[in-house]
Amino acid sequence: MDRKKLYPWYFTSGALLIFFLLCFLPGIIGILYSFTDWNNFTDKINFVGFKNYVEVLKGKPEYRAYLWNTVLFTTVTTIMKTVVGLALALLLTQKVIKLKNFHRMVIFSPQVMSYLVVGLVFKSMLHPDTGFVNNFLKSVGLDIFAMNWLTDLKIVFATVMSVDTWKGMGYIMVVIIAGLMSISPDYYEAANIDGANFWQKFRLITLPLLKPIIINATILNVTYGFRVFDMIYSLTNGGPGNATGVINTAVYKEFSKGNYAMGTTLSSILFFALLLLVYFIIKSMENKEVDA
Amino acid sequence: MRKRLIKLLSTLCVTMMAGGLLVGCGGNSSSTSSDSKSTSSGEKVTLTFGSHQSGLPTSGVVQELAKQFESETGIKIDFQISPDAQWRDLLKVKLDSGEAPDIFCADADPLNLVTRVNPEKYVLDVTNEEWVKRMDKNVLPSISYKDKVYGITFPGKKMYFYVYNKEIFDKLGLKVPTNYAEFKNVCQKIKDSGVIPVYEGTQNGWHQVLPLFETGAMYQQKHPDLYNKLNKNEVDLDAVPELQTIISELKECADLGFYGDNYLSNSVENAKEAMAKGKAAMFIAESAWRNEVKSDFPDFDVNKLGIFVMPWGDNQAIGVNPASNAYFINKNGKHVEEAKKFFDFLAKPENLQKRLDGQPGLSELCWPEIKSKYSKEDQAYIDSLQKGMVVQAGVKYIDSQWMDVGKDLEAMYTGSLTPQQVLETIMNRRKEQAQLQKDPDWNK
Repeated sequence: MDRKKLYPWYFTSGALLIFFLLCFLPGIIGILYSFTDWNNFTDKINFVGFKNYVEVLKGKPEYRAYLWNTVLFTTVTTIMKTVVGLALALLLTQKVIKLKNFHRMVIFSPQVMSYLVVGLVFKSMLHPDTGFVNNFLKSVGLDIFAMNWLTDLKIVFATVMSVDTWKGMGYIMVVIIAGLMSISPDYYEAANIDGANFWQKFRLITLPLLKPIIINATILNVTYGFRVFDMIYSLTNGGPGNATGVINTAVYKEFSKGNYAMGTTLSSILFFALLLLVYFIIKSMENKEVDA
Repeated sequence: MRKRLIKLLSTLCVTMMAGGLLVGCGGNSSSTSSDSKSTSSGEKVTLTFGSHQSGLPTSGVVQELAKQFESETGIKIDFQISPDAQWRDLLKVKLDSGEAPDIFCADADPLNLVTRVNPEKYVLDVTNEEWVKRMDKNVLPSISYKDKVYGITFPGKKMYFYVYNKEIFDKLGLKVPTNYAEFKNVCQKIKDSGVIPVYEGTQNGWHQVLPLFETGAMYQQKHPDLYNKLNKNEVDLDAVPELQTIISELKECADLGFYGDNYLSNSVENAKEAMAKGKAAMFIAESAWRNEVKSDFPDFDVNKLGIFVMPWGDNQAIGVNPASNAYFINKNGKHVEEAKKFFDFLAKPENLQKRLDGQPGLSELCWPEIKSKYSKEDQAYIDSLQKGMVVQAGVKYIDSQWMDVGKDLEAMYTGSLTPQQVLETIMNRRKEQAQLQKDPDWNK
């Protein structure tokens, strides 16, 4: 190793200092606050131990519903975005499709729109009386499918997750297309000579070689899903009632009530859950690489 | 050569980063000094004014006044309007994070000012302004905290009625209901005729809660000294069986389809259209709301709309709310002096008159020097009613959870909460807030 080419360690000190002051320290302080009774009404802060955590896990059933909703939202949107994104990516790399880049652009475009805009547009499109969706369904005679998309308890969460998938699938598609392009055509050629059909090629060549990309996409989707806020806030504001509330809408609610400690408790729980999950996802990726 | 270039670049980077840090530290003082310079030299100042939809009259009269103010003083006002359902939370988050606008509008009442805007910490004390003396004495408690006045407010006292379409009632031979049984009967007949009996919109989050707490006058009649006992934690809300009755009645009416099919997706703003076009027969609103209908639908004869007291829980008294929304100056804002000038401007008698004239939905101002707009008929009806203060203005920890109760009712309508659970949730939230605020009556 040419030691002269290495820069001395203190070259990183500036970046480290900034990272420590602006990212690490506030995070740690936030977690510490979750062990107190910090609130808007007094300046005194008392240590209360695990009281807030116990309250979340054992107290009001709402909190557990929010936790469950967050997990459900993350799981379903991750699967839907990956499946739909993969399908679209496969479709838009086929030779038979014309104007591929145009199609890709159209499918990707929701990604660049703000969550609030998407939420408000869909809110008006899904209005049972005046919304585009129901009016369209009624005009083609499919009245039975015209529903109260955002107020019917049975379907509201599915609606929210579908809108979120619609917005997010384009991004995953683009990531997967990049992965597909990097797979050498030689493999497919060899498989063709062996007489492999589309599914065999997909299962035995495309999927294994896409694995690292899919794992990365999953990490992106999972971290997004756990932190989701804007989409739900603008579409349903957690309603009807608290049916679509997630951890971050609850954090917002607690902060606005002045109960800061509970807000930081909820976001700390989110932080630990994410840390654990992402750790395992990355670990599983490492193992796969060793196997290969 | 290449080494040199790299060295040069890295030195440059480190210097820039170090410089950036220093700039970051010193930025505050330098920017404020340049700000004060710019204001003193009379350069154009833009005040930000944050409000919820219902904080500013829909007629845009405040914006018109602001334009006039701009042409007189050169100070521009930038209005930032947020949805009703989000404003309370948003404002608090903005105040706490130091990002609040220069002037902000908030609902103000004697009990909740401190939880809503924390005046000592965030709001400019205006006690010694000349115009404070000209406001109605009865509204001052709503905008004061610990004997200091913090805001300016305009609307007179609020009273909510059922505004109803007389034509529809006459056609079906119906009489104004005076108790719940009659009300249900009326609703059923209207529903059978193909019209939505009651327009309800839960999307705004606050409107559906009115029947619970605007009926406070009746609660007080039936339970003497109720508010005092509730505030001292001697009794809880379950000591008022009428409240539970009203919550159950709301659910019953929803189940009977009296609000129509889509009330969970509807907004209060669309009520005017529904009433003017005869799609709905009744709507909870203030009496002067009819003038707003007229200004939006000039062809509609508003004399067709009458008012009657909400008959929930056989109520026949009218709740009076001395509180309303008020404007406050952000004490930590950059343009405190300019904001004060705007308040002086709004408080001029000619501008007060302009405001009352320019806001069709308003019957009176809380400035005694300006004459009210009530018609003789309305005035006579209102005078004939027994009155009392609404619950949210007299009982602690109700108004702060108003929007949450709206969500509870939504949950009740969708079937995920029972009426009993709604009441329990309201009671628990009161307890939680009281404990959080270290209220001595709850922490004995």
